[in-house]
Amino acid sequence: MAPSAIAAAGTGSEAASTDYGDALALRERRFAAALLAPAFLALLATTTFPLMFLIWTSAFRMDLAMPFTNGFVGFENYRVLLSDERFWSSLLVSLVYTGSTVALQVVIGLALALLVMDMKRGQGWFRLIAILPVVLSPAVVGMIWRTFMLAPEFGIVDFLSINAGLGSQNWLGDPVLAMVSVIAIHTWQWTPFAFMVLLASLASLPEDIYEAARLDRASAWQRFRRITLPLLRPAIVMVVIMRTMVALTAFAAIFTVTAGGPGTATEILNLYAYRKSFTELSIGYGAALAVALLIVTIIISGILFALRRAK
Amino acid sequence: MSGRGQVSFRDIVKMHGEFAALRGVSFDIKPGEFFALLGPSGSGKSTTLRSLAGLDAPTAGRVFIDDKDVTFTDARDRDIAMVFQSYALYPHMTVAENIAFPLEMAKLPKAKIGPAVQDAARKVKIEHLLDRKPGQLSGGQQQRCALARAIVRKARLFLLDEPLSNLDAKLRLETRAELKKLQRSLGVTAVYVTHDQEEAMTLADRMAVFMAGEIQQVGTPADVFARPNSIDIAGFIGNPPMNLIPAHYADGDVLIAGHRLKTTAAIPGEREVIVGLRPGSLHIAADGLKARVDLIEDLGDTAVLDLDCDGTSIRMRVGDHDVPREGDTICVTARPQDIHLFDPATRKRL
Repeated sequence: MAPSAIAAAGTGSEAASTDYGDALALRERRFAAALLAPAFLALLATTTFPLMFLIWTSAFRMDLAMPFTNGFVGFENYRVLLSDERFWSSLLVSLVYTGSTVALQVVIGLALALLVMDMKRGQGWFRLIAILPVVLSPAVVGMIWRTFMLAPEFGIVDFLSINAGLGSQNWLGDPVLAMVSVIAIHTWQWTPFAFMVLLASLASLPEDIYEAARLDRASAWQRFRRITLPLLRPAIVMVVIMRTMVALTAFAAIFTVTAGGPGTATEILNLYAYRKSFTELSIGYGAALAVALLIVTIIISGILFALRRAK
Repeated sequence: MSGRGQVSFRDIVKMHGEFAALRGVSFDIKPGEFFALLGPSGSGKSTTLRSLAGLDAPTAGRVFIDDKDVTFTDARDRDIAMVFQSYALYPHMTVAENIAFPLEMAKLPKAKIGPAVQDAARKVKIEHLLDRKPGQLSGGQQQRCALARAIVRKARLFLLDEPLSNLDAKLRLETRAELKKLQRSLGVTAVYVTHDQEEAMTLADRMAVFMAGEIQQVGTPADVFARPNSIDIAGFIGNPPMNLIPAHYADGDVLIAGHRLKTTAAIPGEREVIVGLRPGSLHIAADGLKARVDLIEDLGDTAVLDLDCDGTSIRMRVGDHDVPREGDTICVTARPQDIHLFDPATRKRL
């Protein structure tokens, strides 16, 4: 009698506990959803909605200078875009700008990291000073370079050029020099980021495998090629991905230094979309350019992520 | 014997700031010898090995390999292979690539590298693991991979820095025996750093015992065990180590806790000494030192007794057939030739 009663009670409480568990899980889920909702809505409102609106806008002719021509045009903006020479040239400028700044950041950043790793003293100071450009706003960096560094006669770079016997150069007026200048500015500001990431990664490599490699008769260059580089690969790929995305959408520094000029020499795709939209007031076509930039960014980052996964 | 791999250390000093890691170390290693550097942590044995490998430069002194002064020669150019305590395998390379690395650096043709890698892997029984990365190997397998990488290139010196310390007890015993066979079959000079005296005793042809940055004694393991030349070595070698008992010496006899023991010493006169008695050389007798059994540590085939001998504690090893009971009072004695005498002031053997 007594055991069966206990058994019955046991089953009863078990069933109850399962129900109770379900109820609890449901309540937990609801609570979690409630906690997530504000952030989710904020993201929806600030990223997803503007993105959708941008794509929607790109399907319209929306010319603030000629409002009477406005209306739905479907893919017309994209048809125009594909035969727009200025689009292709700005895309090329974007790719050159991104490719060269990212390559320079990684190479200089890695070289600096390797040098600083061997510094016995003053590493902390070096890191502190190196990080300064990163914390500046790109617009401020652009202003500093245009006035203090590149101004004819008075800028530090031009002053050095004159003293080196190269003469005063029109750093921002010559199409090639202007491109070199904006690449140098971006590299100057963002190399410390690559430097910091690669330095941290270098510091985490074990010391003993380098000693083993020395005993295995590897030269300094072989140790770098066969051990350091392969072990740093994940960090390098990560830096490349992050810096590429930023370089593709760079804006403020170029805008304050050359505003895309002279002519369209430094007009990256982002800047062209801006000019089209807010200078020439062709909002619809500008939106189509922005969508094109989005697609280019997605394709490139897709390739980079695939590279990262490979091996 | 190949005649390669002769090592001489001459007055090597290594300072780390104010701290002297090595204070004038000199010793010689003969070609083909298995030489152990034994000592407690921080005694300077690893520093000695690193100076030999060329990973650290000594502050003073000279290192010779095959009669050539290599004190300032880079590790790359010394023709030395080494197994690290941490194994130091290249984590991004497979086992095969790890073993092939020293050969590639030596610019050996590809056609010769493959067979050499296979051969080295077979010697340490890891042929089936060649495609794995070090992260996919157990500790014992990583250790074998490190060994294979060291033996694949026929270096003139083979250095081992506590190679067994990261293995579990059973594997350590197996690998120890294999290591000895491997060294014999290769006929290469091996220098082996360890803090485990059992490893040094079983593996080494000769060994140097380090204490506080100095070599206390160099000799065969049997030699060092039989005739430790200082109190420090006597207290370090042997498990359990020698009993060291302050006593009064008079004309060949020592007086311990009121009991007189005969020695083989021929020093005339009276003096204070430290008597060294191996736990294994003590035996129970009808007449001898009276001692109470405090504790019995049973090790299966033998037992270690903690004895209280009038306030002096002595450890004694006995066979499993004559184990007394805790609390018993027994009489122990030792043969005259088993009694070691040390000078309490200089800590040296008398």
